[in-house]
Amino acid sequence: MSASVTAGEVVLEEASRAFEVRADPARTLKELFIGRARSHASGPPPIHALRDVSLRVAPGEAIGVMGRNGAGKTSTLRVLSGIVPLDSGRAECGGRIVSLLEVGAGFGRDFTGRENIHLNAALHGLSRAEVEARLEPVVAFSELGHFIDVPVRTYSSGMFVRLGFSIAAHLDADVMLIDEVLAVGDEAFQRKCLTRVRELMEGGMTLVLVSHDAGTIEAVCERVIVLDEGRIAFDGPTVEGVAAYRRLLEESAGSAVRS
Amino acid sequence: MRAYRYLYEQMVRRELRQKYKGSALGVAYYLVNPLVLTAAYALMFTYVLPYDRVEDYPLFLLIGIAVWLFFSQSLLAAATSLIDQSALVRKVRFPREIIPAAVVSVQFVIFGVLVGLLVPLAVIVRGTLDPALLLLPVLLALLGVFVLGIGLALAVLHAYFRDVAPILSAILFPWFLVTPIFFRPTDFPGQDKLPWLGEALRWGNPVAPFIESVREVLFFGRFPELGVIAYVVVAAALALGLGRALFRRMERELAVVL
Repeated sequence: MSASVTAGEVVLEEASRAFEVRADPARTLKELFIGRARSHASGPPPIHALRDVSLRVAPGEAIGVMGRNGAGKTSTLRVLSGIVPLDSGRAECGGRIVSLLEVGAGFGRDFTGRENIHLNAALHGLSRAEVEARLEPVVAFSELGHFIDVPVRTYSSGMFVRLGFSIAAHLDADVMLIDEVLAVGDEAFQRKCLTRVRELMEGGMTLVLVSHDAGTIEAVCERVIVLDEGRIAFDGPTVEGVAAYRRLLEESAGSAVRS
Repeated sequence: MRAYRYLYEQMVRRELRQKYKGSALGVAYYLVNPLVLTAAYALMFTYVLPYDRVEDYPLFLLIGIAVWLFFSQSLLAAATSLIDQSALVRKVRFPREIIPAAVVSVQFVIFGVLVGLLVPLAVIVRGTLDPALLLLPVLLALLGVFVLGIGLALAVLHAYFRDVAPILSAILFPWFLVTPIFFRPTDFPGQDKLPWLGEALRWGNPVAPFIESVREVLFFGRFPELGVIAYVVVAAALALGLGRALFRRMERELAVVL
């Protein structure tokens, strides 16, 4: 990452990314040498997940990302976290990025909750001493009790979210990217998460939150972008953003009925 | 990269523990395979197709087999390593080199244990307590670097082209046969009939000079020829340089192809 963004700043500049759609994404060497042209010509056209998306989020700001399925919400997060590169344009996040993209992502199933705290924190670049200092607060926040010493393959999805969010919330993130996962937890834990997120934002953390739930977004975000077919259809205050998202849903429902 | 030292440590330990847990014999399991191989080949090449040009032949074999097993097991494990960890690669951003590097490191630890047992054995059986033995750690490190370089390349190639690992395992057996493990490329029965073969076996196969160098030090108790030392240094540097360059070039799209 270049030094052109400050910690907590999120920048997308004319960001575009397309994905090829193939039943089997992997090629073989054999195909490369003999059958490549054929396999390339057939098959559906690529999906443009992001088209010329420009976005700037200031440090400490929280932005909600809404849109129908396939609008490019998850792609936006994957691009911002640096997991997937852009075809063109620029994507940068300043400082330490912590992403919560999927329930239980980055967990070893045969390892205990506690061991997974170590692995998950290490994946975000923390040292052993840094992990050990955070261990107790993470365990306490997760409310997992004695389950913290049980292999996570026995966890329910709600327990995965508890652990995943508890870790993410204690990594000193400059930018946190959350994809829908909070919806899996029960209401009490969701409230606890949102309170924690607000605390972290007071400390200067930037939040990019993907959700279909207007309530969650309204609780923490003052700004919303609505994505539609890989483009930004709306960018502005939350109340109007949620309304724009609802209009989009009604339009698509209407056109579905008409056709 | 430095920030991720703990991640590397975690991955190495986790891998070691997982393997060790999975078998009743535990760590001893890693010694069984080379010993069984050595016994089988010692039997074969002492009685069936006798190669009687080296004394203490089982020890001679064991050293070559140890090096070969480190080489082949590391490459097989590295090739599929990124796919084995695809859940991590697709969801979190971290230096992906750590995955194949950890896998090769685990094999290196196992290899190290075996060599640790071989050294006193060789010193006792062969009386090879010689200053040349000081070269052994350097040679092992060079071998590790060489294997790491190829491992990085194979890991990223296999992520894109899923026939890389099967091709590799098909190649390894014939490769094993032409590698100077149960013979010396400078001394074998048919060398007069095909005078060029010895040289080809000695220099045409990058694993051969590594085996020769380790064997010179450990088994014969003398310094390897300068040419052999130069070869292993260059091979290690080239493998790591090219392997890393290829990995860096291809790793960008990993989260998409995995």
